[in-house]
Amino acid sequence: MTGSGLAGVMTAGSQTFELARRSLVGERRQLLSVMPGLIFPLLLAAVYTKQFQRVLDMPGFPEVDSFLDFILPACIVQAVSFGATAAGSELALDIENGFLDRLLASPVARGPILLGRLAGAAIVASIKTLVILAVFLVFGAEVAGGLAAMLVMVLVAALLVLVIGGLAQVMAVRTGSQEAVGATFPLIFVSIFMSSAFFPTTLMNGWFRVVAEYNPISWVINPVRRLVIVEWSTADALQALGIPAVLALGTISAAALALQQRLTTP
Amino acid sequence: MTVVVEATDLVRHFGDVVAVDGVDLQVEEGEVFGFLGPNGAGKSTVVRMLTTLLHPTSGSARVGGCDVISQAGEVRRMIGVALQDAAIDPLMTGSELMRLQAVLHGIPRSVIKTRGPELLERVGLTAAVDRRVGTYSGGMRRRLDLALSLVHEPPILFLDEPTTGLDPTSRQALWEEVRRLNDELGTTVFLTTQYLEEADQLAGRIAIIDAGKLVREGTPTVLKSTVGAPTLRVEVGPEHVETTTTVMTGFGAERPSREGRVAIGLDEGAARVADVVRALDAAGVTVIHLELDAPSLDDVFAHATGRRLEGSGDEQ
Repeated sequence: MTGSGLAGVMTAGSQTFELARRSLVGERRQLLSVMPGLIFPLLLAAVYTKQFQRVLDMPGFPEVDSFLDFILPACIVQAVSFGATAAGSELALDIENGFLDRLLASPVARGPILLGRLAGAAIVASIKTLVILAVFLVFGAEVAGGLAAMLVMVLVAALLVLVIGGLAQVMAVRTGSQEAVGATFPLIFVSIFMSSAFFPTTLMNGWFRVVAEYNPISWVINPVRRLVIVEWSTADALQALGIPAVLALGTISAAALALQQRLTTP
Repeated sequence: MTVVVEATDLVRHFGDVVAVDGVDLQVEEGEVFGFLGPNGAGKSTVVRMLTTLLHPTSGSARVGGCDVISQAGEVRRMIGVALQDAAIDPLMTGSELMRLQAVLHGIPRSVIKTRGPELLERVGLTAAVDRRVGTYSGGMRRRLDLALSLVHEPPILFLDEPTTGLDPTSRQALWEEVRRLNDELGTTVFLTTQYLEEADQLAGRIAIIDAGKLVREGTPTVLKSTVGAPTLRVEVGPEHVETTTTVMTGFGAERPSREGRVAIGLDEGAARVADVVRALDAAGVTVIHLELDAPSLDDVFAHATGRRLEGSGDEQ
């Protein structure tokens, strides 16, 4: 119901909750589709750690006991990227099969339609991050920043999903096509490689280094990495959380604007 | 009677295509209104505008007394909508979808606990409520869709081609339910269809749309009567054909017929059949067979557009 003020917020809240639950139920019932996003980054981390152990001796490489510590943030970002576009592709599916019309023809506010999906994806990403952290710790990784740093990593994962998911939702609303949303994934996949995720930018050369240094993914990875391999730092934690938070605000607003335009174009 | 759905000079363009071209219509409270037309005629576009899903390019529409653009929220609270293809998330179960739909309409949990199962029982889905919708048949999906659209007990129901692609039994079941809603609860039903029979069976009043324009509007009976007189066909022995023709053309113009039969347009309708029979009897003609064909809605459509609707769609 429209209900002014608090009542309206409560209604929107329970609608978002119910739509997030729908998205989680969907994920749980097709768990097999979530697994590659978890297994692939872990495998990559295992291979890199085995192969690149000697890289640690290179001059200019940060002081770490194991490449495993170095690659932990990259592994989380990569795992997150796998599920993040889902918030968009599932919205595109809802547009394709008409489910979105069911939502739009009901008195639900427009916000929960977008936020519900994103919240579901953010919860999935948080769970994935916890699994990755557990696996890394079992295999001997150490997080210098302790529990607080791990909590930051879980939150960063959730925020990154909102950034990428918001972007994917813009694509979904503009094109109404799952394929178009799917096409954004390789872009994100490649931008992770063109960042400081797998290698410190100080050891890079030329244009690649410039791209990596200006890549927002590096701006998030670097402070998270310092939390893992150096020590707890509130400034790093704020940077790691602040950048995706601001970006998420941007992409979600863009998605909301796109939906508004789609609905009101005469 | 109160007008609950009203469109005034409704126009919708998609790029250069004019999908809806100046539609005016009025639906009164408690009516079952049939919106009939071939594929691509503009039926769904009109429904999308009336259900606040699409803004008109020009013109205006009010549903339940509220403007579909400036009071879209109020309109959405008053309408139940079951759109084409019954868009239902295949990964969810029937009862999960029911709860989601209820929350979207802001219905308290205590209410939905009793109303949800009631609605699902009403459409005969009680046994399937905990199954994923992906396992439902086409007919079950449509029935679930109908139940979902009723969760907030809307006074106005929009059904966009509710039986397209359904088998005859499922179609009958859905018709029954629509009739029951209209009879028992007085729900106003706005129904689009490409099936003449459906419009004829369900709708008290019909509008025919073709290429974005309304071409006819009225009750099925009145519409049929505007096409012309019903055809009276009489089969007689070959020796009586000439006499029969002479007698019958006194009641109306002759129409083409097969050999051994005589057909006329019976100007004053069924009331004159007895007179024709008496006249034939008086002339000594033995009638083998006699039939009176009322014009069908297809004749109405053909009369209005110059094309036949039957067989133009995907009906088998």
